[in-house]
Order: sequence, then structure tokens, then C-alpha cells
Amino acid sequence: MSAIEDVVRELSRLPGIGPKTATRLVHQLMRGPGEDTLRLARALDSLAERVRPCEECGNFGEEDLCAICRDPRRDLSVLCVVEGAFEVGSIERTGQFRGRFHVLGGRLSPLDGIGPEELNVHGLLERIRGAEGRVREVILATSPSVEGEATAVYLEGEIRPLGPRVTRLARGIPMGSDLEYVDGSTIVEALAGRREM
Amino acid sequence: MRLSHLSLRSFRNLGDQAFAVPSEGFALVGDNAHGKSNLLEAVYYLETFRSFRGARDRQLIAFGYPFFRIEGELTSPEPDRGGTRVAAAYERSTARKKVVVDGVEVERLGDGIGHVGAVIFSPADITLVSSGPSERRRFLDILLSLNARGYLDHLQRYRQALERRNVALRRGEPPAAVSPWNAPLLRHGSAVTELRLDWVRTYERSFRATYEAVSGGASAWMEYRCSFELPNSPPSAGMAEESPGVFVAAGPGRGEVAEAFEDALLRSAERERRRGWTVVGPHRDDVFIGLGSPEEGLDLRQFGSGGQRRTAALALRLVEGETIRQVRKRAPIILMDDVFAELDEGRSERLLSLLDEQAIGQVLLTAPKDADIRLRADTLPRWRIRSGEVST
Repeated sequence: MSAIEDVVRELSRLPGIGPKTATRLVHQLMRGPGEDTLRLARALDSLAERVRPCEECGNFGEEDLCAICRDPRRDLSVLCVVEGAFEVGSIERTGQFRGRFHVLGGRLSPLDGIGPEELNVHGLLERIRGAEGRVREVILATSPSVEGEATAVYLEGEIRPLGPRVTRLARGIPMGSDLEYVDGSTIVEALAGRREM
Repeated sequence: MRLSHLSLRSFRNLGDQAFAVPSEGFALVGDNAHGKSNLLEAVYYLETFRSFRGARDRQLIAFGYPFFRIEGELTSPEPDRGGTRVAAAYERSTARKKVVVDGVEVERLGDGIGHVGAVIFSPADITLVSSGPSERRRFLDILLSLNARGYLDHLQRYRQALERRNVALRRGEPPAAVSPWNAPLLRHGSAVTELRLDWVRTYERSFRATYEAVSGGASAWMEYRCSFELPNSPPSAGMAEESPGVFVAAGPGRGEVAEAFEDALLRSAERERRRGWTVVGPHRDDVFIGLGSPEEGLDLRQFGSGGQRRTAALALRLVEGETIRQVRKRAPIILMDDVFAELDEGRSERLLSLLDEQAIGQVLLTAPKDADIRLRADTLPRWRIRSGEVST
């Protein structure tokens, strides 16, 4: 097994990268100065060494607690539940959310063998209980797919008895789109979720 | 709508052929295994984008070819009313199906179905009435996907929820992890149930009358048998009429049927846990077909003769045509695959006069012998087929 083949094999395990793309990337690296490749290697090395899930919320960070959980200015009373750390980034970029997060690490998906046990649900409930009533609202930001919906319904059932208000991200017509191009079931949701002006 | 032009590329044994189709239709005569049914299969493919014989798409490609393509042109019988072009193609290597309606590729197949407005009669229809409930559910599912707005969408969502719920049950997940699938199951499942019930109740009379007309007097009836107990008052399936000027207040899947379904689901929790799958819902329903009067309660599947079963299957297809006429406000295109060979003289005659009475539109039929073609006083243009080659 040559070094090139090794790297190609490792790269092609990543989503969206097949053997062809992986080979192209390797050849690109070989064309540049060896320095660049070493820098990439060191960056990957420290990624594996230093980055880990936050003990509190499951988001990625480099210490026991992630940057968001360490930030004393973040509002403790609102908790936003997302499927993955990727979504934390999406919401953070808006700059509009000042509460904290909780990362489930997936969604209920019996077809893939993922039930509540496989998700970070226990941690979420412990967090809410441990806050002794200071968590006033939990926003369920799972995706609006069949599985995301079921995950939200499941979580709602578990969280509500603990006290906090449980809310769900709104669904409907995306910003900047034209009603003409929106599919029927989205319009149905939007009609059901219409609000007073 | 009439089929005015059909062109085929490497479809089954028909190869590459194109023909203009006469507005009254044609009678295709040829020996068995020369491709008669294949031609009707191609036409009906444009309606549902699936083989009516249950063949897989790759089996429809001519041997040794990479893909098949079917294109049909539909024209309205009234002049000045535009037509529609529907094309479907399937490629073996990519397993990709492409459907184009009037030059625009449809995003979801469901958006392209139902442009032809055809009903197909075939000898295999006998399984509609003699096999288990799944055949009759399939009949309703196809019929309603083509003729009831929103049905296909509800059906697909119902199946998604059902599949996940069943896996959760089989895995022995705690009730709290099974119940999140209840909401989509109940909502889409009751919409499916309501639309089916509505169809059976609306067309029950028509079924009975059609059966009587074909059988020459004897009667039969049909009834939707639900896996859970339904409320007594007939539900209103479609839009809630009483909601004044508001968007559908209740809408399908949110009324009494939904409540009855939910009750049944909750009551069956113990049973489904034991068995590992969802035991109530429209995936367990049936259309019961009885002989004589409902009081006699005779099950056609148990007590029906071959002739009675054939008549019931024909009646279902004729009522399907009636549905197209009512819902789409136009005569269906009738496809008949070797139907008369199986019927006795009297039934054939009565079926023919019934079809003539119904002011049918275009008729495409196949038969192995000239003698079997008696429709329309034998005036249909006669086409021949030999080894897949059609001569008009």
C-alpha cells in the first residue's frame, strides 16, 4: 500500500468525496511545496488532538466546555435543541440567538437503528433538571422532515413534565421565494401556522 | 382527451416505432407473444409511469438496449383546445426515470401522473376480486392517486410514518419512542381512509348497477371494511363545507375518522407491542365484495363462480372509468387487453352495449383473433402485429 493510496482511501471516506476527487486532491497537494502538506497534516493532527464535544451541550470545543457554554453573557433560560453541531454554526451566524444550545447528535431514525438511547437525550433532561427551573424555554430546532418532526414530538413529551415552555421553529414559505414555486404541503403548513399582523 | 400519436424507442419487443392513432381507436390483432399487451402497457405507462403488469422498469427495456422511451400526444376532441405531450424514459445504467410533460421535466413523478385518463382492462383483473385485500387496496391507491387531489401525498407520508413506527415497534422501543410516529400516522392515515371511504360510498350504487347490467340481472355490492370501528355518520372527506370563508378548518385527516383511528391505535398498543408492527390503519383495510344483497352477506371470494368474479372485476374497471368521467369531466381512454376471450357470449354482448351506451371515447383493444372483436359493430380500424412490428 503506497502513501498515495493510503491518503486517497482516507479522503474518500468523507462525505461528497469519491476516489476520483480524492486522487485529484492528493495530486494537487503533491504539486505544491511540501510545507503546505505538512501544515495540513499538523492542522488535522490538532483537530483530532484538541477538539472534542462539550461536556455540557455536545457542541465542538477545545476545552471541557465549549466557547458558548463558557460565555457568561449567554442567556441560561433559553435552550435551543439541534440535531448536530453543524446547525449550531448556522444559528450562531445569524447573531440573533443569545441562549444556549444542546446537540442531540442525530434524530430518531428507526430505519437506521437510532432510537432515543442513541441520542444525547439523557444529557438534555439532566441539564434541564439540574438548572432547577432556570431553563424557561426549550426551542426544538430539529429539521422539518418526518424524522425531525417525530424527534421533536418525542422530546416535547419528555421535557414538558419538567416545567419549561416547549417551542418549535416555524415552518413555511422560505424568505425571498415566490409563492408560485412553493410546493403544496409547504403552503398547507404555512396556512396552518399563519399569524396575526 | 384522445391519444393522437405514440412513439416508442426500444420498449420491450416493439423496438422503434411511431404511429398516428385514429380518434376512435384501433383493434390490434395478432398471435400470442407477439407484443399486443406490450403496446397497451406502453400507453398506460404514460398514465402512471409504472407497468400495469407489475414489471420493473428495467424489464421494459428491449434486450441489449440502454434505455427505453415512450412519448404520447394527447389531443382534445374539441378543436382549439390545446393538447398535451407526455414522455417517459428510463435508463438502465443510472436507474433514472425522466418524465417530461409539455417539454418540462416534472420534479416529482406524482406531478406528472394522470394526463392520459385511461382505464385498462386485462384478464389479470380477476385477481382484483379473488386475491387478498392488498390487491384491492392497490386498486384504490392507484385510482385515488390519479383522481383525488392530495391522496398520493397523504399515502406516501402515511407509508413513511408506518414504516418507521413498525421498525421502532420491532426494535422493542419504549412507548415514548413509538408514539412520536402516531401524529403523522393518524393524520395521513385518516386522510387516506376518508378519501377511500368517500369513493366507495359515492360509487357503490354505480358498481351495483354496472354489475347487474353485465351479469344480466344478478346483483353484487361493495363496502369499505375498515380495520377500526368507524363513527356512524358518514364523514365528509374533502373540504369542510361549514367553515365560513376560512381556509380548510378541519380538512381531511382531522375529523371523526381521525378520532376513531386514534382510539383504535391506543387500544391496540398491547397487541402491536407483542407482534412488533402496527395492527390498525388503512394498510389493513379491505373492500368487501358481496353477492346478492347485503343481507345475504355472501362473500364473492368464497362463493363466487369464475364468471361472477370476472363480472365483478369488469364492474370495478367500468366504475374506474366512471370516476375519470366524473372527476376529470372527460371520457376515459379505454384499453382492453384480450378481455372478450374470457367472457361468455351473453356477458360480452352486455358489456359491449354498456360501453356503447356510456358514450365512450377512444378504445384501444387487442385480440388474438378477428372473431373476438365485436366492439362498435366491428368498425374499429384493424391493426396487425407480428414479432413486435405493428402494421396499421
